Amino acid sequence: MEAKFSANAKDVMGKRGLKEADIADVVASAESSNRKLSKNGTNLAKKRIGEVTMYAVYDNNGEVQSAYSHRMVLGEPVKTTDEPDISEWTCVHCNEKAIISSANMSYLGVTRTGPALVCPKCGDVWIEEYLATMTIAAAEGLFEKKKA
Amino acid sequence: MSELIGETESLCPECLKVIPAKKIAENDNVYLEKTCPEHGSYKVLIWRGVADYKNLSSYAPVPSKPGKVAVKKEDIVCPLDCGLCEEHRQHTCLVVLEVTNDCNLKCPICFASANERYHFNPTMDEIRKMYQTAIDHVDDPICVQLSGGEPTIRDDLPEIVRMGKEMGISFIEVNTNGYRLANDIEYLRKLKEAGVDSLYFSFDGLTDDVYMKTCGRNMLDFKLKAIENCREVDMGVTLVTIVSPDINQDQIGDLIKFAKKNIPTVKGIHFQPLSYFGRFPIIPKDENRTVLPDLLKEIERQTKGELTVDNFIPTSCTNVHCDVKSMSVLMEDGSLFPLTHRAMGPPKDTCCIATKTRQEISDLWRYIDEGMDGQEGGEGTWADFIQRARTNYLTISSMPFQDVWNVETERLKGCCIHTVTPDGRLIPFCLFNINSVHGKTLYRHEILEKYATKG
Repeated sequence: MEAKFSANAKDVMGKRGLKEADIADVVASAESSNRKLSKNGTNLAKKRIGEVTMYAVYDNNGEVQSAYSHRMVLGEPVKTTDEPDISEWTCVHCNEKAIISSANMSYLGVTRTGPALVCPKCGDVWIEEYLATMTIAAAEGLFEKKKA
Repeated sequence: MSELIGETESLCPECLKVIPAKKIAENDNVYLEKTCPEHGSYKVLIWRGVADYKNLSSYAPVPSKPGKVAVKKEDIVCPLDCGLCEEHRQHTCLVVLEVTNDCNLKCPICFASANERYHFNPTMDEIRKMYQTAIDHVDDPICVQLSGGEPTIRDDLPEIVRMGKEMGISFIEVNTNGYRLANDIEYLRKLKEAGVDSLYFSFDGLTDDVYMKTCGRNMLDFKLKAIENCREVDMGVTLVTIVSPDINQDQIGDLIKFAKKNIPTVKGIHFQPLSYFGRFPIIPKDENRTVLPDLLKEIERQTKGELTVDNFIPTSCTNVHCDVKSMSVLMEDGSLFPLTHRAMGPPKDTCCIATKTRQEISDLWRYIDEGMDGQEGGEGTWADFIQRARTNYLTISSMPFQDVWNVETERLKGCCIHTVTPDGRLIPFCLFNINSVHGKTLYRHEILEKYATKG
């Protein structure tokens, strides 16, 4: 599937410094491996490219609606004793509903947890857009900013 | 075995003539060598670790001219025609504005030679002009340090602060010995209300013998009381600590411990290796100097590796051999978690660093505030880490000033900390203060004496 980009996606990607070629790569990889989340005709795919994990939110025609990224490295999901909250997303590979859980995330030697979507079967972890662009971006910024 | 690794210019300590200088690497040290045709040769230690000295050049900022300079003429001789001029290679990130040269102490060590010769106490109108010079020459946001002398001897300091804020200065800190602030919390409260953003507070050690050497009297009780008062009125403090092997170099680790205990009132420690300008007790030999690598090794040794040499990076604002900085988050267990490390490499973009430095602090926290909007924390989460970082952080920095022995025009040209003068100029702080062994300055007394008041 060839990725296309909505006007909104282009705008957002410009602001976030993401390249169309990379996001198209994310979509193509997810479509060939079937490793993605899906809900009501919307797909969420991710791929680690270089030092960055990139995400594409796209419809079944391959039109990208939004894209985002984070530099943190995702680790293992963290098991909790609480009854998990079921999300609206389905892990397409396992045909399992993803749960709203938490996972380890590491950046420049610090590992902490943060909320994440987790497939209870394969254990794959996704970070949602709000988190990647808010808390995670702030944490990354804290490190990055201090370099300047 | 010695190797020539750089050439620059310097000053003759006797006559202040501009003379050529060579940087020589020898026994893993870097020396500045210079000869005055009249007064002979000088050789002074400027760095330990030749590879380190060279490697730091990867942190060098992209040269950037100030938008507007006060001195425009042909055949400029640096650093004698300063003000700044078009040869200058960095913007101003901090403007030092002296509101008096009087002081309530008379310390044996004083870069400003306060309480000597004449009284400089500019009028509100003269201070307004100096603020205006800053506004005319520096882009927003403008950061000003009110200095002296001792600024808090002026009862009208709150009005001076208010005037600066009204004129559009973004950030105002007050450089102080804290003596009045320890005794007069109401005055401190007035400064806070007038808009002082933080204090740059001289704090040389944790025992009275240190203050006997730096201030000529016991000061520790006043220093501690001043910090207590700052906590009371919620005024942030940067501790400014002179460092000298002859005075307090063995207290570095304890000072960092003290700072940690006083977070968040104490925001940082600025280590200020003793520079030999103004009033100082001796003509320095190499063993009387703490060069930057000495300081960092002592920090590593005395904190038992909690902070290492590699946690300190040049700010890439001024010359790379002028300063270092680290930033750490105070963790739940009381340990420091450093956010800075040389392994991260130099900043990707060293262009316009002065603007970024001015923006940095206010921006970072606003950014994090927005990032945290509506986020739930909890122990061990990133949200919690950010919350800690917001209030429980400690900045440790250092900028050894240049004196007449080790001054390099190359470093002066890259300087970003400038004293504003009543005659409408901005002059690198070190250059403003440098004096010959006979006490003659190029700028400080020559300028301020013209504006002196009688009495």
